[in-house]
Amino acid sequence: MKETNMTNAKISARAVQVYYGDNHAIKDVNVDIEDKTVTAFIGPSGCGKSTFLRTINRMNDTIDICRVEGDILIDGEDIYDAKVDPVQLRAKVGMVFQKPNPFPKSIYDNVAYGPKIHGLARNKAELDQIVESSLRKAALWNEAKDRLNAPGTGLSGGQQQRLCIARAIATSPEVLLMDEPCSALDPIATAQVEELIDELRQSFSVVIVTHSMQQAARVSQKTAFFHLGNLVEFGETDKIFTNPEDPRTESYISGRIG
Amino acid sequence: MPILTLLIALAVIAVVGFVLGRRRALASASGDSRKLHSLPSYYGYNAALTGLVPALLVLAVWSVAQPMVLENRAQSLITQEVADDGAMNLIMADVRRLADGLSTAVAQGALAPGEAATLTTDSTDVRAILADVGVALGSDVGPDTLQAAQAYRAGALSGALWKSALVLLIAIAGTAFALMKTNAAFRARNTVERGVMAVLIAAASIAILTTIGIVLSLIFNTVEFFKMYPAADFFFGTVWQPSFSGRGGASELGLLPLLWGTLYISFVALLVAVPIGLFAAIYLSEYAGPRVRAFAKPLLEVLAGIPTIVYGLFALLIVGPMLKDVFGADGALGVAWMTGDRAVITAGLVMGIMLIPFVSSLSDDIINAVPQAMRDGSLGLGATPSETIRQVVLPAALPGIVGAILLAASRAIGETMIVVLGAGAAGRLDLNPFEAMTTVTAKIVSQLTGDSDFSSPEALVAFALGMSLFVITLGLNVFALYIVRKYREQYE
Ligand SMILES: Nc1ncnc2c1ncn2[C@@H]1O[C@H](COP(=O)(O)OP(=O)(O)OP(=O)(O)O)[C@@H](O)[C@H]1O
Ligand SMILES: [Mg+2]
Repeated sequence: MKETNMTNAKISARAVQVYYGDNHAIKDVNVDIEDKTVTAFIGPSGCGKSTFLRTINRMNDTIDICRVEGDILIDGEDIYDAKVDPVQLRAKVGMVFQKPNPFPKSIYDNVAYGPKIHGLARNKAELDQIVESSLRKAALWNEAKDRLNAPGTGLSGGQQQRLCIARAIATSPEVLLMDEPCSALDPIATAQVEELIDELRQSFSVVIVTHSMQQAARVSQKTAFFHLGNLVEFGETDKIFTNPEDPRTESYISGRIG
Repeated sequence: MPILTLLIALAVIAVVGFVLGRRRALASASGDSRKLHSLPSYYGYNAALTGLVPALLVLAVWSVAQPMVLENRAQSLITQEVADDGAMNLIMADVRRLADGLSTAVAQGALAPGEAATLTTDSTDVRAILADVGVALGSDVGPDTLQAAQAYRAGALSGALWKSALVLLIAIAGTAFALMKTNAAFRARNTVERGVMAVLIAAASIAILTTIGIVLSLIFNTVEFFKMYPAADFFFGTVWQPSFSGRGGASELGLLPLLWGTLYISFVALLVAVPIGLFAAIYLSEYAGPRVRAFAKPLLEVLAGIPTIVYGLFALLIVGPMLKDVFGADGALGVAWMTGDRAVITAGLVMGIMLIPFVSSLSDDIINAVPQAMRDGSLGLGATPSETIRQVVLPAALPGIVGAILLAASRAIGETMIVVLGAGAAGRLDLNPFEAMTTVTAKIVSQLTGDSDFSSPEALVAFALGMSLFVITLGLNVFALYIVRKYREQYE
């Protein structure tokens, strides 16, 4: 990669290795994720997409046996540097998890959680405003507006997933990491979330893990294909889907490995 | 036949039944175990269980029923005037002792078997003979007591014989019956399943029946007490002053001061145990690395293994004097609040220390049951670990933690040794934690130790106290379990 690329990149990973105990889950990954783009991670189950995503906001710190080597720079700053506070980092790099994990609180409190912690609202009205706009963006407002005080755990699986999306965007992160955000959604909600992703792209960079080739093709500008812990191919989405360089990428996209 | 021999015989029958059943099943399938309905060993178990289960059942029922029948029969032989149930119990105790004594004498050769059954008080000094073989009787033996004892002994001897015969017969018959039915098509697996269920039901019934028995005896004796002492005076009396001199009358047996002491000390104990235990649990489950956890958790559990009497000693000999050095007349603070070593604060503090591991290990389990995904969600939004704990983990775990605290409270209420040694002996309704007070449990101990008459209200009050305690702790436990269960449903 050229040096110029590195300066443009919002996130750049250099020689990243991740180990779970003896299991080498991510092998020597180099990638540059640009600002104001949507990058899709695709690859067969267990190839390390979630693992790599979690290294970007240091969520792997919470796993005792997990070890990360190499550098990950965001805006040119090494996030694994001892000076960096992971708490600050995660406020900047939001995450939607693969499994919906609403807090056992009301829908309102779920969304208001981040803004309250970071003091993003000066008063109740502003907080209400943030909650409403986040729920609207996550396509949940119409279903939730009459039951904002009902527990978030009482929502359906797909609604919970959208609640988690609303929760993540309520803190206005600069980077949003989404791990299969549409896996439990119907086509209408999926379309709405994809619309949201497109909208977020105006101001943020978004990384999305997905098992749907169509979705990757629809929403992303860049695509990374992972296989057995290796980053096999990374490039323009159009190119990956129409004219992949690596035979493994081609087989995966056309459904022969997975 | 002694019971041990009988049990060994039963075991032998079962083993033989197992071997034969297995062999017979294989033979009926001409050695090809695939043709059998069940695995060969199931036929063995079937034969063994079909003999063993009914035999053990009969053995159990007979062993319980025989003494009751014999005692009834012996009682009818007592002709002398008997004042009340209590006196009758004493006489029957003599009868049993005498019967045992006669058996001992026969076993040591001091009496011939026939002689033991026929001798009378006119011709022999029974007391002297028994004293020779080491059985001391309190008084001379009356003629009807001796007769009753002889009848009792004869009944026991023949009963034991019949019992052994019947039990062995049932075991053999059952095994034989099962062997007869054994063939390749017989569904031994299903039968064994039923047999296993029968064994499990028996175990469960024993557990439940003993509980019911204990509760019933509590209730009967409590009712007995309330016949002698008005219930209203007991429940609402504010003075605890038992007199051991006369019967009833002078005693004032009010529950309130004891209950107050119990609750006050438990409250102090929880005040110590809950914050420390909870914070320790939070540290261990959320902050501590695996190495610290591996060494700190067992250490806390060691605390749980210390017998409470040791805590009691610790309260009496170390904590009490230490507190007095601080809060007593010539103490470090110069406040003279505390006059003796024994006080609510002494017992409460030590009981709190005892409860720390209890609270922390329960809370630890509950906190660990909160899914990691919940923490990840919070940390992923940029919350610090302590914010995550305060705002997500603890609210999610709260019902369970409340349940744990209630369980700790019911332990505190039932705790005895620490309060006997550390709290004092005077029932008192007072707010001062440096004052000695006493608890329900401590008073149950003191009412029953010492030579009190067990049918006097001063002794029977122990049952009423025990009953009150039982109802309180039962209520707390039920409430705690209800809360804990409700909490579990949230994540399942
Ligand atoms: N917490 C963990 N502890 C140990 N090993 C883990 C852990 N999480 C993931 N792994 C291992 O790391 C490898 C990559 O897992 P990862 O979850 O990143 O896969 P993925 O690409 O996200 O798969 P999927 O599409 O099924 O979500 C797997 O081999 C997995 O077993
Ligand atoms: Mg994944």
